[in-house]
Amino acid sequence: MNSIEIKKLSLNFDEVVVLKDLDLTIEKGEFLVLLGASGCGKSTLLNCIAGLLDVTDGQIFINGKNVTWHEPAQRGIGMVFQSYALYPQMSVKGNLSFGLKNAGLPKEEIEKRVKHASEMLQIESLLERKPAALSGGQRQRVAIGRALVRDVEVFLFDEPLSNLDAKLRTELRVEIKRLHQKLDNTMIYVTHDQIEAMTLADRIAVMRDGLILQLDDPKTIYNAPANKYVAGFIGSPGMKFLKGTILQNDKPIFKLEGGWSESPDLSNYKFQESIKTETQVWLGIRPESVVVGGEAKNMPVNFSLEVEVVEPMGADTLVWSQIGGQEFRFIIDGNISVNVGDRVTVGFDPAHVSIFDFDNEERL
Amino acid sequence: MADSADVHSLDGPRGPKPRKKLSRRNIILYGTLFVVAVYYLIPLYVMLVTSVKGMPEIRMGNIFSLPLEITFEPWVKAWSQACTGLNCDGLSRGFWNSVKITVPSVVISIAIASINGYALANWRFKGANLFFTVLIFGAFIPYQIMLYPLVIILRDLGLYTKLPGLIMIHSIFGMPILTLLFRNYFTSIPEELFKAARVDGAGFWGIYFRVMMPMSLPIFVVAIILQVTGIWNDFLFGVIYTKPANYPMTVQLNNIVNSVQGVKEYNVNMAATLLTGLVPLAVYFISGKLFVRGIAAGAVKG
Amino acid sequence: MPKQALPERFFIGSILLAFVMLVLATVGIKSQILENAQFLILLPSLLLVIWMGVKTGRLEIFTNRLRKYATGWLIAALTSAMVWSFAQKGTQLALPILKDLRKVWNTFEPFALFATAVFILFCLVLLVIGTRDSDLERPGYIESSLVNNLSSKIAAVPMAFTAFGIFIMATLWTVYHSFTNSRLLPKSELIGFGQYERLWSSDRWYVSIENLAIFGVGSLVFSLTIGFMLAALLDQKTRFENTFRTIFLYPFALSFIITGLIWQWILNPDHGVQKVVRSLGFDNFVFNPLYNADIVIYGVLIAALWQGTGFIMCLMLAGLRGIDQEIWMAARVDGIPMWKTYLRIVIPMMRPVFITTLVIISAGIIKVYDLIVAQTSGGPGLASEVPAKYVFDYMFGHQNLAQGFAGSTMMLVSVLIVLIPLAYLGFGRRKHG
Repeated sequence: MNSIEIKKLSLNFDEVVVLKDLDLTIEKGEFLVLLGASGCGKSTLLNCIAGLLDVTDGQIFINGKNVTWHEPAQRGIGMVFQSYALYPQMSVKGNLSFGLKNAGLPKEEIEKRVKHASEMLQIESLLERKPAALSGGQRQRVAIGRALVRDVEVFLFDEPLSNLDAKLRTELRVEIKRLHQKLDNTMIYVTHDQIEAMTLADRIAVMRDGLILQLDDPKTIYNAPANKYVAGFIGSPGMKFLKGTILQNDKPIFKLEGGWSESPDLSNYKFQESIKTETQVWLGIRPESVVVGGEAKNMPVNFSLEVEVVEPMGADTLVWSQIGGQEFRFIIDGNISVNVGDRVTVGFDPAHVSIFDFDNEERL
Repeated sequence: MADSADVHSLDGPRGPKPRKKLSRRNIILYGTLFVVAVYYLIPLYVMLVTSVKGMPEIRMGNIFSLPLEITFEPWVKAWSQACTGLNCDGLSRGFWNSVKITVPSVVISIAIASINGYALANWRFKGANLFFTVLIFGAFIPYQIMLYPLVIILRDLGLYTKLPGLIMIHSIFGMPILTLLFRNYFTSIPEELFKAARVDGAGFWGIYFRVMMPMSLPIFVVAIILQVTGIWNDFLFGVIYTKPANYPMTVQLNNIVNSVQGVKEYNVNMAATLLTGLVPLAVYFISGKLFVRGIAAGAVKG
Repeated sequence: MPKQALPERFFIGSILLAFVMLVLATVGIKSQILENAQFLILLPSLLLVIWMGVKTGRLEIFTNRLRKYATGWLIAALTSAMVWSFAQKGTQLALPILKDLRKVWNTFEPFALFATAVFILFCLVLLVIGTRDSDLERPGYIESSLVNNLSSKIAAVPMAFTAFGIFIMATLWTVYHSFTNSRLLPKSELIGFGQYERLWSSDRWYVSIENLAIFGVGSLVFSLTIGFMLAALLDQKTRFENTFRTIFLYPFALSFIITGLIWQWILNPDHGVQKVVRSLGFDNFVFNPLYNADIVIYGVLIAALWQGTGFIMCLMLAGLRGIDQEIWMAARVDGIPMWKTYLRIVIPMMRPVFITTLVIISAGIIKVYDLIVAQTSGGPGLASEVPAKYVFDYMFGHQNLAQGFAGSTMMLVSVLIVLIPLAYLGFGRRKHG
């Protein structure tokens, strides 16, 4: 059974269109991440699912029930907010139990659920404290606990980790993943951090301007981005794009704009459909799919270029260079030493590149 | 639901939750607001209609009814003929006194307070906080306790009952709150800017005039609003530190309306009241949101 | 060493101020207050220095640069003393040359005496601070504590003068004179608590206090509840919010005098509300609060609420807007009804706003004066008297200064009683948060 189904959802704020005709189906137990830059509508979509915003058109189903007109509390969801949104004058226990008391649950049941949630999140020792006396990470656990005690099928996370520092963020990330494995309920998680998205998600929905650009598992999103925006958004350091044309004789060849002695043979690349000759394209290469030195010689495409800037990052080193006047960069092992001005041989496999139409930027 | 199903084949509730325009919640909400708004507007309305009625009509009719016959005579009389004691040249004298008091007081108090605030925010020195605490405390102390010693000081300076004396009083009592206002504002300006100006070689006054002041126009406007309404509306200082010939408008208004001699002319009284209120009301309606900021800052005053 | 820093700060402040006094005195302002002020400042300073010296227990006068500075101030003190002595008759007899400039010496006489005291004090300060403070070894330390940041200090002179010279001195002066028998003119012989006994045995003062209590409690309760409710109503994504706010707030721009006069007119029994209702057929309708001694203060309260509630609403609205939107969302997800969210979550979160508002209202209540003067002139009889009016009348009307001073001192005391705990609550919380 589908846990959440969204049909033809639209949302306008006055004249501004925030979400357009959006369809989305989420399976039971799935961990879906809504990923996008700020202002792409991802949090808005989450608020619509939660019932915190009135939709302009369309329907929302949760567990097969049409909840479009339901109040948030009746939808069977729990939500975790970016600013934690803990009630500051109540103790942790009060925060966890306030909603339940309001719903008129018997005392023993409340006690049981609070106990269960606090054990699960390891916050038993904090129950009597006020939120002001907690660290950021502890507050976020309490916020998760507040969703947990509601004993619901669907968890909604609105950028829950973005107020934490980098180290804590990675720790809590793992905990959320563990929690998901333990509870096995549906989770929708909004973030602008692509690493969070890649590590947590069963599927990622990359959003932009109120539209879902691509909805796929992390691997597909990484390896076969549906368009240039997604390609550039996922991966760090990001993909670099070379402008050029594809000449299709007996085999497809890439001709770089501005002239380049090489003309790589792209027969390895799996085109979505057959391609016409002289198509203007972007050729996207991930810095980490470029190899250097001896290995490069074995690659279908290899050539040499001059190193312009070297950025050591510890494990890896990012090298900046140029091909025919266009910027090009790649990652090499941190132990290999290169200097500015060196000529190095690099190579890549056309099977691992992405090619996008120059005009509509869709994958070819 | 039938036709919507035809278009998109979506069954059940869809789109926005239906809301009645006249829901019970909305009736209560707007009903309450409307009633309260009427309560707030009635006095203004009563003032207006009374001020354009003739005396016979006032005696006969009721204060809420619209005037049968509009006359501006009460306004003319309030402005140029109403009597306070022996002077019978109307409110105009008080108006010009108030202008002569308000303008210099506003300029002086803002000039001093902005520089003080700047010194406190950006050039802290030992002991500054103590001065400041005392100053702020001074804003809360009832003025009554300082009234008489100030009479002595003004008398010593030869300024008692004269306009410059009252201007000095207003400048002094405007200082705590204005200093607080400016200090808080200058503190909120990024310190990097101040440091950059210092690195560029600007000194105390250079930074104030060339960096801080141009950046602080809104707060100067807020301060002006605060001071203009505050000083214009002042009664206590006016009545203590001036003599009848120099009374500001508010004091004169009170004397006209509450004078025990002669027949009460309610229409003239209301015209006079409205005339006195025109300046602060104009400031209020022109300045809009800045006014709220101004009064919020000045609330602890006086 | 925060404990030592405080007296030092006070000390340097008072010295600077004494200097200001000196300058003022020199430009020719002779006044009883200023002269009193000078000595009131000097005396505690001197005591402080001596106390600091005693605590130090040792005086190493002739170490290092200290000697230079101390000697400098000593010479300055001697010079001043010399000027003073030139003004004395005995010296002038002995040195006839001085007589030609007699006028000059006489003008300078009081200041020279004062300057002598100040300079000697400076000398003592240096010695005491010098022995206590190892920083003194650092070149330029003394200069820096006085001269560094000079523009800023000069710019702050008006503030320092207002703070100490006016606010503190005037307050102390009034408190002092409330223990005297001053009538038309201030006298300085103390008579003890006589004025206070008279104050508290006066019916008029009792009525004033009682009125203030009713008025105070009334305005606190009503302006807080009405103000908050209006703010909450306007915070419902209400249409025409700006229009409503403009309407609720405009009375606040008007003075208390205008407020009083308008409501005096509306509550006028012969023309106002009472007459209108009677003309509708309710012949026995009675509503004339301004002419009924028992309820007159409520008539004033109506006017005060009309004037001030809009402003309280604005403060509350700002407070409501300051609450994280996500708190509201969380409460909705938790299924908490709106009224309960306000009561259990929002209002407790707005505690600082309530404290600020409370301080503002209370400070205003104690000072209420104009409104009474305009609306009722304290009548009927004495039924709507308030302390501020009592004070004013005794000071400027009845020529019984000390009685007015005693009343104003009581006002000060009540402000302090209200404000100090509130300030502590407000500021104390901020430190923790």
